[in-house]
Amino acid sequence: MSNCKNMRAKIHSALNDQNLRGALGRFADAYLGARAKAYQGRDFEKLRQTIADRKGSSAQRMEELAQQFKKNAEARGAKVFIARTAEEAKKYILDVALANQVELVVKSKSMASEEIHLNHYLAEHGITAAETDLGEWIIQLAGQRPSHMVMPAIHMTRQEVSEYFSKETNQNLSDDIPLLVQVARQELREKFLKAGMGISGANAAVAETGTIVIVTNEGNARLTTTLPPVHVALVGMEKLVEKFTDVGAVLECLPRSATGQHLTSYVTMITGPTPSNLPDGTIGPKEMHIVLMDNGRTKMKEDPLFSQALQCIRCASCLNVCPIFALVGGHVYGSVYTGGIGTILTAFFNDFDDAGELQNLCLGCERCKEVCPGKIDIPKLILELRNRVTAKKGMPASQKFLLNTVLPNRKLFHSMLKIGSKTQKPFVSDNKIRHLPLFLAGLTEGRSLPALADQPFRDQLYRLSKPKQPKAKVGFFGGCLVDFVYPELGKAANKVLNNMNMEMVYPLEQACCGVPAGHLGATEAHRRMAKQNIEAFEKAGVDYIVTVCPTCTASLKKEFVELLKDDPAWAKRAEDFAAKVYDFIHFVAKQTDNGKQLGLKPLGKESVTYHDSCHMRRNLGIYEEPRKLISEAGLELKEMQWPDRCCGFGGSYSIRYPELSQPILEAKLDDISSTGADILCTACPGCMMQIGGGLDKRNSNIKTKHVVELLAERLPD
Amino acid sequence: MADLEKLYEQFKAAAEAVSAQVYRVKDLKEAGALLSTLAEEGGAKKIAAASSPMVDKCLENAALKAEVKTEDLRKHAEEACIGLSELDMAVAEIGSLQQDCTDLNKRLVSMLPHTHVALVKTESLVPTLADAIAKIDANKDHIPGYMAFITGPSRTADIERVLTIGVHGPAELKIIFVDNPGGVSHE
Repeated sequence: MSNCKNMRAKIHSALNDQNLRGALGRFADAYLGARAKAYQGRDFEKLRQTIADRKGSSAQRMEELAQQFKKNAEARGAKVFIARTAEEAKKYILDVALANQVELVVKSKSMASEEIHLNHYLAEHGITAAETDLGEWIIQLAGQRPSHMVMPAIHMTRQEVSEYFSKETNQNLSDDIPLLVQVARQELREKFLKAGMGISGANAAVAETGTIVIVTNEGNARLTTTLPPVHVALVGMEKLVEKFTDVGAVLECLPRSATGQHLTSYVTMITGPTPSNLPDGTIGPKEMHIVLMDNGRTKMKEDPLFSQALQCIRCASCLNVCPIFALVGGHVYGSVYTGGIGTILTAFFNDFDDAGELQNLCLGCERCKEVCPGKIDIPKLILELRNRVTAKKGMPASQKFLLNTVLPNRKLFHSMLKIGSKTQKPFVSDNKIRHLPLFLAGLTEGRSLPALADQPFRDQLYRLSKPKQPKAKVGFFGGCLVDFVYPELGKAANKVLNNMNMEMVYPLEQACCGVPAGHLGATEAHRRMAKQNIEAFEKAGVDYIVTVCPTCTASLKKEFVELLKDDPAWAKRAEDFAAKVYDFIHFVAKQTDNGKQLGLKPLGKESVTYHDSCHMRRNLGIYEEPRKLISEAGLELKEMQWPDRCCGFGGSYSIRYPELSQPILEAKLDDISSTGADILCTACPGCMMQIGGGLDKRNSNIKTKHVVELLAERLPD
Repeated sequence: MADLEKLYEQFKAAAEAVSAQVYRVKDLKEAGALLSTLAEEGGAKKIAAASSPMVDKCLENAALKAEVKTEDLRKHAEEACIGLSELDMAVAEIGSLQQDCTDLNKRLVSMLPHTHVALVKTESLVPTLADAIAKIDANKDHIPGYMAFITGPSRTADIERVLTIGVHGPAELKIIFVDNPGGVSHE
């Protein structure tokens, strides 16, 4: 709990740091363009599959490759030590330093050394370790922690840097950036020439040759590994790859994903000790040590799900595209490794409980998964961390009651909501809740909430018309938002299906799709809901199953299968069920030649901007179909900037972290308004609730509509 | 040869995009003359050179006012304005140079001075990074002790994301392609 409060305080201070917000925001926008440009002409999917395959198989053979690396590097004259723990690694490095009477160490950037707090340890033993990467040096002078894996000082301004440099050099320096860089060059050059030992990390370690590979832009790793007579490389065991050619794919992706470069200024490949200026004035082979560090990595390897995290190449692209990271930066994560992947690495390399708090920050937008060059399913791993934390710490009783009793039981959920909807009356106007009292105020800050429907969709079914001789029976999965908040979407879907000569069937025993439970770490509750839904639709005997909510679609089509795959009585049933599931928009596009066979009648000359919901775009991969349907409906499509950027809803996220959800929403609203479109259209009721509420709060004239509504409005009754 | 022309043009565009300067000469006589001009323009008083067949021949053909050092380079390279060395391969697609720099002098002259002048044979151009890696891989049983890929001068964007050239390594990278390094021993 103290951790949680601590994190809240950090979020608060990060959000109020205008320098940080400005720097991160500008970078987040620029990064996307730079990355896309760098990958032009490259098959990213193929490259990342290669990395996933090569690093994945290397990770499984970690111990064996460590021994092979040791043998080959030692044959070339290096000394290789395999350190099981942070303590062993630190002790070994200290002993090397003491044996060589080292007073000053120069370091090039190494996340592994940050992970074990090596500088602090050396300092305790009277040895000064100077960071030489410019960003790391700034952080060291400021006594801070890096806020980003690739750009450690991204949160600081030139004025702050000039203050720290002035203090360090006893000068009064201006805040001119080239001047500050020159000051760093001079100060650090002296240290390079004086240091008795250089410590580097490595981006890859090749088992078959005993080679370490280091990627930098500044050239500090070359100086670190050339000038001092002793070199120690601290290398996490996940950096081991089997073959020299495996380095190729890493070098193709790391610079492109990290900074949008084709290649960094320098790539250094070292195999064994090389000639160096020795303390006695002669030139001879230097002393070279390589510490291969385990510290949680073999444990990670043994974990069937988390082992994929070892495919990480530390490019930090998952941070760069994360809407939450763009708001708060790395310090909120409170550890060395930041952002989504950082949360996972922290759990295994540092502290599981710390990571337990951090995973709550994930919005589940899946953008990181789309760009990860190691093909790591970061959102899934974060969710699994949540499951394990819940399993370890348990869940509050009220939440348990909600998940286990209320969500599966539609009638009970219903009557509870009805009671709730009565109490909301004083705050409702125009079917929108604009403000709530007391502690609930956060919910309506920056957006209005839609009022609960007077009559849920399930109670309006009797009024729906049906085709006389339908060519197919289509099971409609409502989902909570359609059933209780937006029944009009269900009615619109029925109208569209009628025009396709298909009959909508609504099994009343259907429950929630289980995602809210799954996202709270309640896998069992999610599984129970999967069974209940499968049973309900089996009984109805339908040809297809559709829903207008992409989050529900993903759960029905993918997660149910995953949840039940080890249950012999259910695995096949889940697969048969999933095979019938479609997102409604996808279904209509597929069945009607992208709307051409619907006979849509254009109405007026309105323009539309389309927001890609995270789950629709990234989880289901559907983004062309809704645009085609909008055009077919005779509407002008005006694309906004970043249509697939998250709106900040994230289910209960907007309730748990309104302070993070709201600025993301505001950015989305700005993008929408800039298009000048009359209608904001999306294919997700969750996004509708978030964005529609935001537009309402701004008194905007832009209407919020689901694609299914645009279609239904243009069809005869 | 037509292929080589294409690769050279591609290299030049890619290297210039990352702030390197690219020159091309017929032979080492012209390379010597170009080095003299570059040294003059840069007001170089001292040049630190890592001896190699091309470098030696280039220096022989240069008329330099600057002092040239080829030994005790830790001291001299630190003081020199220009470092001169021979590179082994050029990667056209991304404008990168590759070098076996197990020889300490090759490293010192390409790291410590303000300007690195890199001599490379035009015929050593390869299309892509994958080609360069494959070439090294073909001889991996005798992989050099220290290898480098160099792409443009040293750079940083660690303060406010502003790109600044020349932090720890050279602030200038001048690449001279030599079409006909003839007369130079290839042994």
